[in-house]
Amino acid sequence: MTRRTRTWLLLMPAGTWFLVMLLLPLTVVLVFSFGERAPAGGVVPAFTFEQYANLPARWTAFKNTLTLAPVGTLAALLIAYPLAYFLAVKVDPKWKTILLVLVIVPFWTSILIRSYAWIFLLGGRGLPALLDWIGIEGVRLINTPFAVLVGIIYGYLPLMVFPIFVSLDRLDKRLLEAASDLGATRWNTFRQITLPLSIPGIATGCMLVFILLMGEFLIPALLGGGKVFFVGNALVDLFLQSRNWAYGSAVAVTLVIVMLITVTIYMRLINRLGASREDVSIM
Amino acid sequence: MRMYATCVYLFLYIPIGVIALFSFNAGRHASQLQGFSTKWYGKALGNPFVMDALQTSLLVAFTSALLASLFGTMAALALQGVRGPVRTVFDMLIYVAVMIPGIVIGIATLIGLVTLFDQLNPMLAALWPEGAQAPRLSMGLGSLIAAHTMFLMALVIIIVRARLAGMDRALTEASSDLYATPFGTFRQVTLPMIFPAVLAGFLLSFTFSFDDFIIAFFVAGSETTLPIYVFSSIRRGVTPEINAIGTMVLGVSLILLVAAQVLLRRGERKPK
Amino acid sequence: MTKTPDNISKKKFMEEFRRYQKGSVTRRHFLNVTGLGAASAVLGSAVPGLRPSPAFAAGEIGDRVILATWPNYHDPANFDAFTEATGAHVQVNVFGSNEEMLAKLQAGGSGWDVYVPTNYTITTYVSEDLIEPLDTARLPNYDPSAFDPRYAEAGSVDGTLYAVPKNWGTTGYAVNTSHTDGKAMTSWKDFFDMTMDSFSGRTMVHDYQLTTIGNALKYFGYSFNSVAENELADAEKLLIDAKPHLFAISSDYQPSMRNGDAWMTMCWTGDGKQLNTDMPEIAYVLGVEGGELWSDYYAIPKGAPHMDAAYALINFLLDPEVNAKEVLAHGYPSADAHTNKLLPEDLLNDPILYPAADLLNALEFGAAVTLTDPNRAELMARFKSA
Repeated sequence: MTRRTRTWLLLMPAGTWFLVMLLLPLTVVLVFSFGERAPAGGVVPAFTFEQYANLPARWTAFKNTLTLAPVGTLAALLIAYPLAYFLAVKVDPKWKTILLVLVIVPFWTSILIRSYAWIFLLGGRGLPALLDWIGIEGVRLINTPFAVLVGIIYGYLPLMVFPIFVSLDRLDKRLLEAASDLGATRWNTFRQITLPLSIPGIATGCMLVFILLMGEFLIPALLGGGKVFFVGNALVDLFLQSRNWAYGSAVAVTLVIVMLITVTIYMRLINRLGASREDVSIM
Repeated sequence: MRMYATCVYLFLYIPIGVIALFSFNAGRHASQLQGFSTKWYGKALGNPFVMDALQTSLLVAFTSALLASLFGTMAALALQGVRGPVRTVFDMLIYVAVMIPGIVIGIATLIGLVTLFDQLNPMLAALWPEGAQAPRLSMGLGSLIAAHTMFLMALVIIIVRARLAGMDRALTEASSDLYATPFGTFRQVTLPMIFPAVLAGFLLSFTFSFDDFIIAFFVAGSETTLPIYVFSSIRRGVTPEINAIGTMVLGVSLILLVAAQVLLRRGERKPK
Repeated sequence: MTKTPDNISKKKFMEEFRRYQKGSVTRRHFLNVTGLGAASAVLGSAVPGLRPSPAFAAGEIGDRVILATWPNYHDPANFDAFTEATGAHVQVNVFGSNEEMLAKLQAGGSGWDVYVPTNYTITTYVSEDLIEPLDTARLPNYDPSAFDPRYAEAGSVDGTLYAVPKNWGTTGYAVNTSHTDGKAMTSWKDFFDMTMDSFSGRTMVHDYQLTTIGNALKYFGYSFNSVAENELADAEKLLIDAKPHLFAISSDYQPSMRNGDAWMTMCWTGDGKQLNTDMPEIAYVLGVEGGELWSDYYAIPKGAPHMDAAYALINFLLDPEVNAKEVLAHGYPSADAHTNKLLPEDLLNDPILYPAADLLNALEFGAAVTLTDPNRAELMARFKSA
């Protein structure tokens, strides 16, 4: 078997899979986005830009998504980084695995059930009742953007911790020792050694969380009371309520384009920050 | 630092504690504690829909994680030596597959496959011998596994490739310099080195698939996975049965993890 | 009854009986061919209280049936009883709007056996070929003459029966009067004005175009079913103005009303009754301007995977004894005279279930056009994403 045949055979299944399950559906969506809504729902083939012209009607959904996705990603990063650092650098190796596993475990319960717990915790009988009791009255949490943010951080924290942990864990501890032996302050060690070396992990974590947030639908639906609307919610609505496949396809195509642009810009930025090309091109 | 970590763990586990607490609620409502009872566990275990949904979820997660790890690893290995347009196309595909939100994958797969099936079904019926019932393609287990595999495959390729990139080239080169066959090199050098990544890819894929609601919501047809079951139950007004299911899933995964940990430890202690 | 053979020879009877014993025919086939089924049905309807419980032996209809219905719309104990009687477990999927049910069926492979469409949607289901005509021979408990035609007629399209009545009711709003400072709430104008005033952040509207848009239309005195562009534009402006003041847009409002997060919500009869029973401070109000009068039906979607179980479940739920328990649990009135006979007097005089004539007369049935009108659908979507 030549090297060439081997390569082709190895690539075959994945290639076919991508063709049928990725390219074909995306092409159909693209075609439909130029169609028209059929009277009872569904799509009538056509070639019109009407659906795209109608996009401003979903501006708020795009705005919410493009605000809460980066904010949620950033918040998750700020909370996750110290924990990942703690797990990778500070913790006794004996406990490392178990503590790491404990971060992942919540991921094993359905996000639905976990979000449901937050409906209770943020609802009138949960935290607000507690705050009321200590004298802070009239706090409303559920069905607000804040509730959605909490749900987001909660749902995606493990995804952020994990890659950062991996990159920090690979870091040679002797480097840190050497730095402190050479009299560097802890802050300087962190800034000049730890942080740059963990950038691939940060980049991966942020990317993962950001991508998932851009398409988020459940958390706003459950914790936003149908009021904090993401593009994902708009899409579900268009396909599962108003049955407007043509317009829904146009919104989907737009979402994909917006993501392509934001993610590409993001990658450029990361690359400029000096992470090695190979590490970031994992995405 | 330790304080901080404790806080984060509390943040992670308080909601889970709430879930577990309410699973022992004697009353019907999931927002008011009315005494202790384990009856919801019995109810959940005796409910064929829960058991079916669990089975479906496990089957889908296992099959798609397996397919994704296999094909993903194959592709990652092959791509190592590929440059030029093929490489570019694959990089693009992986990039797109990972970057597209699950909801778009779900919707696109739904309308794409429904459109495809509408074309294929009459053809199948025409091709089929007279009198025999032609198979009808429809959304269901197959479409769900296929959609999950597509997305997870991209994930596995990324993970394995990252590992391959970090691998010391000198080792495989040394191996072939020493006249090892390509397969020998693969088995004795490459595989052991990438195995952790493949395993990680498999586990991550399994978790993703098992927990996925959005894609399944669109492409599962009449199949019910556990998240779909939970979603429709939540809308029905949650009874503690859902909490019991969640607690059980969590309990089982914890037990498995602890068991794996113990086994690994034992393996380490063996003299080499 | 007309479909069963009148007489059957002794010999034939014994033949059939043996076949049945050997297991080559099902029990139902046996009962049908021999006329025993009809006999017991006749006997049952002649002797009150002896109506046949489902004519199925355990396991015969399979072990499951999937029901797509609305929130808080059944007595869970009845499903347990059904499982006990037939061996089939009932999976309940809950939906908050007819649009959602239609979308799920249109996308194919819903997997449902029975669903609960509202009066105005049935013609669309028929024209889209998504609904199965009903075989009344398999619904011995269905007695068309017992139903008030007003709440049963939408079940037939062009003379074919597609759906049998479940319950009827009204769409008004529930308001927690401990927060109204004694202000009398009587209209949809009050509902929206209060929302944008002292009830800010405490009101819920349905995630359902028909009622949310319809009631906003009533605010201006327009028809609940209007599809006129200028009238819809007024409704949209009202809804979008009110949106920042809403607690949530959701058709499942009971939990929030009960725990005090929400003070007022658009509400269907039975939910109003359920809330009022448990928390007397929650009142159910019908807007004086009018609003919706509706009737829900049981129907079987095309290609239901467990057809036998679907018929068995509908038949079981139509049993007046069972139906009466349902009504007592969910508080939605039934149009079935047999069922009403079994209900306590005070429930039959309950002002929530049976509103005063002048309020009732102002109400409108939903119109089929609202389901497919693209402007209403898009207005609702714009409101939600605003």
